[in-house]
Amino acid sequence: MSTVHNNRYDLAGIELSRLIKTAIVGKIIPMGNFRGGPGGRCLVVLALLHYLGYPVYRILAQYGHRLQILRRIAVKLRR
Amino acid sequence: MNFTTYYSLDSLIAAGKKEARDKEAISVDLFDTLLVRRIHDPDLVKLPVARYIAGLAAARGLKWSWRKVQSTRDTIEQGNRAATGQKFTDHEACYPLFMRELLEVIFQGGYDESLLERVTEYELTMENSMLVPRRKLVDWLKELAAEGKRIFVISDMYLPASHLEKLVAHAGVLDLIEAVVSSADTFLAKASGLAYPMIAEKYSVRPEAWLHIGDNPFSDGLRAFDAGLTAMIIHDPGEDQRKSITKRYYNYSDGRPFWRGRVLQQLMAPLEDENQPGTPLYTEGYNFIGPLIGIFIQRIAELCRKQNITKVFFLSREGWTFKKYWEKATPWLFPGDDLPETEYLYVSRMALAGASCAYQGLTQTNADIAFLPAGNRDFRDVCRIFSLKPERFAGHLADHGLAVDTCLSHVHDGYDPENRKKFELLLEDESFQAEVKRQTMDANRAMERYFDEAGLFSHKNVAIVDIGWLGTIQRFLFEAIAHRPDCPYCHGFLFGATRGIPYPESERNMIAGVMYDRNRFDLAASTLFYAQDIFEEACRAPHPTLNGYRLTEEGYELEFRKTDDAIGQAELHQDEYFAPLQQGIIDSAARFGAAAALLGYSFDDWKPWINYLLVSKLAFPRAVEVANIKNRHHLDDFHGSKKPKADFGRGLKPLWGQSQLQLKFNPLLRIRYFFRHLRGRINE
Repeated sequence: MSTVHNNRYDLAGIELSRLIKTAIVGKIIPMGNFRGGPGGRCLVVLALLHYLGYPVYRILAQYGHRLQILRRIAVKLRR
Repeated sequence: MNFTTYYSLDSLIAAGKKEARDKEAISVDLFDTLLVRRIHDPDLVKLPVARYIAGLAAARGLKWSWRKVQSTRDTIEQGNRAATGQKFTDHEACYPLFMRELLEVIFQGGYDESLLERVTEYELTMENSMLVPRRKLVDWLKELAAEGKRIFVISDMYLPASHLEKLVAHAGVLDLIEAVVSSADTFLAKASGLAYPMIAEKYSVRPEAWLHIGDNPFSDGLRAFDAGLTAMIIHDPGEDQRKSITKRYYNYSDGRPFWRGRVLQQLMAPLEDENQPGTPLYTEGYNFIGPLIGIFIQRIAELCRKQNITKVFFLSREGWTFKKYWEKATPWLFPGDDLPETEYLYVSRMALAGASCAYQGLTQTNADIAFLPAGNRDFRDVCRIFSLKPERFAGHLADHGLAVDTCLSHVHDGYDPENRKKFELLLEDESFQAEVKRQTMDANRAMERYFDEAGLFSHKNVAIVDIGWLGTIQRFLFEAIAHRPDCPYCHGFLFGATRGIPYPESERNMIAGVMYDRNRFDLAASTLFYAQDIFEEACRAPHPTLNGYRLTEEGYELEFRKTDDAIGQAELHQDEYFAPLQQGIIDSAARFGAAAALLGYSFDDWKPWINYLLVSKLAFPRAVEVANIKNRHHLDDFHGSKKPKADFGRGLKPLWGQSQLQLKFNPLLRIRYFFRHLRGRINE
C-alpha cells in the first residue's frame, strides 16, 4: 500500500529521481519532443526541495528570524 | 514572546488539548490553518474567475480579455480597500461590493444580480477545489465541540461570512461552529486586533477564556495576545516545503513548457485526508492513466467547440471511462459554456461488421481487415466476424473452387496465394454479395433504430470517440449509415491512431489520433505501441462486449456476449483486478478539471509532459510496474482461435511480455527495445 502523494510531496510512480534519469538518458539518445526538457538547474532546485526541503524549512521556521543577517549578505553578494 | 509557536500540528494539538481545558471558546483561523491550499499563491484562484467573466462577456458580444478583467478587478479592489482605509483602521474589501462594481463596469447596462450570483458561485467552487481541510485539526475541533466548547472560525478575507460558511461546510465542520466571522462584513480585522474585542462583545466571550489558533504570528499571535486571548501559532515546515515545491513547478512552467503538465499533476495531487494509502494500481490510475485521459478529454472538448460539434458519442466499451471523465472534468474546464451533448453508444467491431455489409456488401478492404489478426484463417472466420451463415455460401464458394475451411491467411499452414485470388473474385460475385446483404440487413435495421434513438441522426456534426487504434469501429459504423441522407459528419477522435490499414477519410468521415497519430512523426507518443492493451483494459466498461443488434417487432435489442464461459470469466477477473486502477482514474477526474481550469493551459501545453509520461512509463517501465499494470486477460472476439504457423511471431516478444527476471536484471533491455522501436518509427 502506498499513497499517490508521498511524504516528500512527490508523485508516486513518476518521482523526480525518475525524471532526472530520463533527462540524462534523453541527452544521449533521442526520446521525443519534450520542448526544451526540464532543464538542469530546475532539476537541481527541485531535487533539493523534494529531498532536503523539510530539514531546511524546519530550521528556517524556528531560527529563520535569526538568519536575516545571512539573507542580507546573500542579497549583497548577488548585487 | 507572548504566544507559542508550534512546528507540527501534532505538537500544537497536544498542547492545545491542555490549554483548552479551562477555556470556553476556541477560535481558529480559516486559511492555512483549518484549510490548506493546494496552491502556493491564493491569488491564482482569481485567474480562472477572470477567464470565466471574460467568457460571459464574450457570450454577450463584449470584448474583454481575461487579463483586462483581472487588472480591472485588482484596480477596483484596491480602490475599495483605500476607501475602507479612510473610515477604518484595516484596509479591507468586501467581495460582493467590488465584484458587483467590476461586473457593472464590464457589462454596463447588461448587468443583473444573476451575473453576480453566477460569478460568486464559480469563485467559491474554484476556492473550494483548491482547499483541503486539515484532518487532525478537524478531528480535534469535533472533540472540542463534543466537550461543549464554543467554536468560532475567524478570517481576514474579502469574502463575507456567508460565503466563507460554504468553505467551512466543505471542511465538514460547519455544524460544530457557532459563528464564522469575516473581516469583510465589519471591516474590523485580526490584523489591527479590532476583530477580537468586537467578537468578544458580540458573542459574549471572555478573552481570558478564549483560545485562538492561527498561522500568522502577528494577527493571530501578537494581536490576539494584546486582546487578552491565549494564542497558539502553527508554523508547519512541511507546508512551507510543499508550497515552495508547488511554487517552483508553477514558476518553471511559465518559461519551460515541459513543466506545465507536472504542475498540473502537482495541483491535482491529493492532500491530507484525501491522500489515503491505496494499491499500486490505484496510484497508476491516478498519476499515470488518469491525467492522460483528462488531457485527451480536454482536447476533444476544445475540438468540439472549434468544429461546432453538437453531440459526442463515446463508443463502448472504453468510452464508458471517457464519458465518466468528461462528466467530472468538463464542468470545471468549460464553465458556463454550451458543451456538446454526450451519449454512450453500444457498439463493437463484431456488432458493426455485419451491419456495415447491408448496403455495400463485403468489401475487399473489410475482408482484408478480417485477416489481420493471426487467429483468423478461413472463410468461417470471415463469417464469424461479419455475422454470416457459412453454410448458405457453400454454392458460391464451390463455384470459385473454395470451401469454408480453405486457408486464406498467409500466416497459416496450407496457404496458397491462388486461393486468396479466388476469394477476391468471389467478392466480385454479385450473387454472393446479394446473399451477404440479405443476411446482414436485419442487423443494420436494428442498429439504425438504436442509433436513431440515441440521436445520431439528429445532429449535423458529431464526434465519435474511441480508444483506437485502426479506427475499425468508426469505419464499420460509417459504412453502415453512409446510405442515409441524414448521415451526420462524423469527426472521429481516437486516443491513439496506429492506422494499420489506410482509413477511407472523406468530408463526412474523418478520423484523427489525439495523443498519438501515425500520420505525424511523434517518437515519444508512439511508445503507445508498447502496451496498447493496458489502455483498453484500463478504460473498459464493466459490461460484456456487444455481439450484435437484433431486429424485433418492437424495435431492436442489444445482444451482449455471455459471461459464463472461460473467456467471459477471464474478463470478469480482469475487471476485478483493474477495479482500483479504474477508481484511481475516476478519482483524478474532478481534480484534473479544477487544476487544469486554474492553470488555463491547453493540449499543446501539456504535450511535452504527456510525451515524458509515455516514454517513461511505457518504454522504460520498472519491473514492478510491468508486473502490476500489465493486464491479466484481454478479450478480442475479432481474433479467431486458429493457430498460425509455428515460426509466426517468433522473436517479437514485446518488452511488456518479458519476464520479471529480464526486466529486473538485464540493464540494456529497455534501451535495446527503444532502439528497435526508434528504428521502426523511422522506417515508417
